[in-house]
Amino acid sequence: MHTEPSLPDWQRQFLDALYDADARGPAAAVLGNGLEPDARLRIYRHSSEAIHTGTLRITYPAVLALVGEDYFDQAARGYRHAHPSRSGNLQAFGAGFAGYLEMLPDMRELAYLPDVARLEWLRQESALAADAETAGPDIAIDDLLDTDALLQVALHPSIRLLAGAHPVLTVWRYAMQPTPERLVLDGEGEHVVLWREAGEVAMAAVDPASFACIASLAHGHALDAAHAAAQARDPGFDLAACLASLFRQSLVTAIHPLNAS
Amino acid sequence: MPARAGIGLRAPHVARVLAERPPIAWLETHSENLFAAGGGFHHALRRIRADYPLSLHGVGLSLGSADELDRAHLRRLREIVDRYEPALVSEHLCWGALDGRHSNDLLPLPFTEEVLALLVSRIGQVQDALGREILVENISTYLRFEGGDYAEWDFVAAVVRRSGCALLCDVNNIHVNSVNHGFDPRAYLRALPRAAVKEIHLAGFTRKDGLPVPLLIDSHSRRVDAAVWELYADAVALFGPVPTLIEWDQDIPQLEVLLDEAALAQEVLDAHRAFAA
Repeated sequence: MHTEPSLPDWQRQFLDALYDADARGPAAAVLGNGLEPDARLRIYRHSSEAIHTGTLRITYPAVLALVGEDYFDQAARGYRHAHPSRSGNLQAFGAGFAGYLEMLPDMRELAYLPDVARLEWLRQESALAADAETAGPDIAIDDLLDTDALLQVALHPSIRLLAGAHPVLTVWRYAMQPTPERLVLDGEGEHVVLWREAGEVAMAAVDPASFACIASLAHGHALDAAHAAAQARDPGFDLAACLASLFRQSLVTAIHPLNAS
Repeated sequence: MPARAGIGLRAPHVARVLAERPPIAWLETHSENLFAAGGGFHHALRRIRADYPLSLHGVGLSLGSADELDRAHLRRLREIVDRYEPALVSEHLCWGALDGRHSNDLLPLPFTEEVLALLVSRIGQVQDALGREILVENISTYLRFEGGDYAEWDFVAAVVRRSGCALLCDVNNIHVNSVNHGFDPRAYLRALPRAAVKEIHLAGFTRKDGLPVPLLIDSHSRRVDAAVWELYADAVALFGPVPTLIEWDQDIPQLEVLLDEAALAQEVLDAHRAFAA
């Protein structure tokens, strides 16, 4: 006796067919009408695949430029198969692409690529992060440094940080705007700070001590702790200069005593 | 919402709309584009919203999924509806996800009593959560299921009547489905509850070559086809002047092309008014 699959069953089979070319899919429930049911399901698989690879192309333009369309689309299809979309909002798709790329055997020759992908996902996060009012430039940094109180310096929600094992920002810029000169990749890893400026993502490579300071503040640690983290990297670290640059970029949203509790 | 022609606001045109404020009757954006906590698009839309009537068009809520509605998605939709106070809020008569796995596409449903009841219940949930009426849109499809209790047009009409929601009549989708599944698109239009039609969508399709049967893909990648313009004129004659949107999502052209398409739709709306007067 032929029994109809239940609604959840055929929807599950339908999704299986969208994510896996070898899955049987609910073909038995599909009318052919001049085409094989599988051919009709294939239209949907290609459509969903194109939506997901297209989304990754938009989110990861430098990775796309570095590896070319064919390799990128193949990797994107592999990623999609391994990590199906988990949200009805496509802005959330692709968070794990860097980790997926890292597992690919070809990455031995493109070791910097996962770092570039990490940077691009952080660009996406920064672009979509919450807005916040910034603290005015009238705050005297010297007074801040003189106070005995334990202070917390809150940073803008769009700040993201990446300690690259490779010169990731240099590679990203080269990928987005290639120069005739060959890019020489023998430099050390770059420490990149990302933030949003007038609606666009801005990026800068900073020294490791400044990076440690900003990362510590971004984690909600007290100014003293951030200072100590930076001095551990560079005993001559200039906290006043680092704070001044954060204020200059409108990245400080509040300064308040740290609640001891 | 004015019963005039608007356009879908897409990323490549945001800067020009902000800078030039072109004469467009209204704008529509995908609801999910506003799901982010903050950033440039929110900033732009707050300013655009001050000058243009706005419609929010959802593509990811998946009304027809056999499992539960995504509560977090619905909550976020409510937040942006409260924030932007759009004139219209719409979703699709489709499904797209199950068990947390998403296709991010508009997938077809069988036209059965079971699915009808499911959709009516879901639309009720969404309207309750948002505290307002929503519109639901008929989708393009490339397959039909065995069995089924309704023709597509009767199914769409029944969903709207039983749930008490409004209808976003996508005229291009009716034409695409009439070719793909072989039916009279005008009979489809005549079967719809006229007073419930509160928005019309128009877009371009592509032909899929090399198949033994004609197949149109709802690609939103070109100008509205002549056959769809004719069907649109019939729809306006049936439903009266209704806010009409030009959609374009792939190979997005210069803003002028969308404005030109909107002007063509406006001519049809104006011609109806002149005739009706």
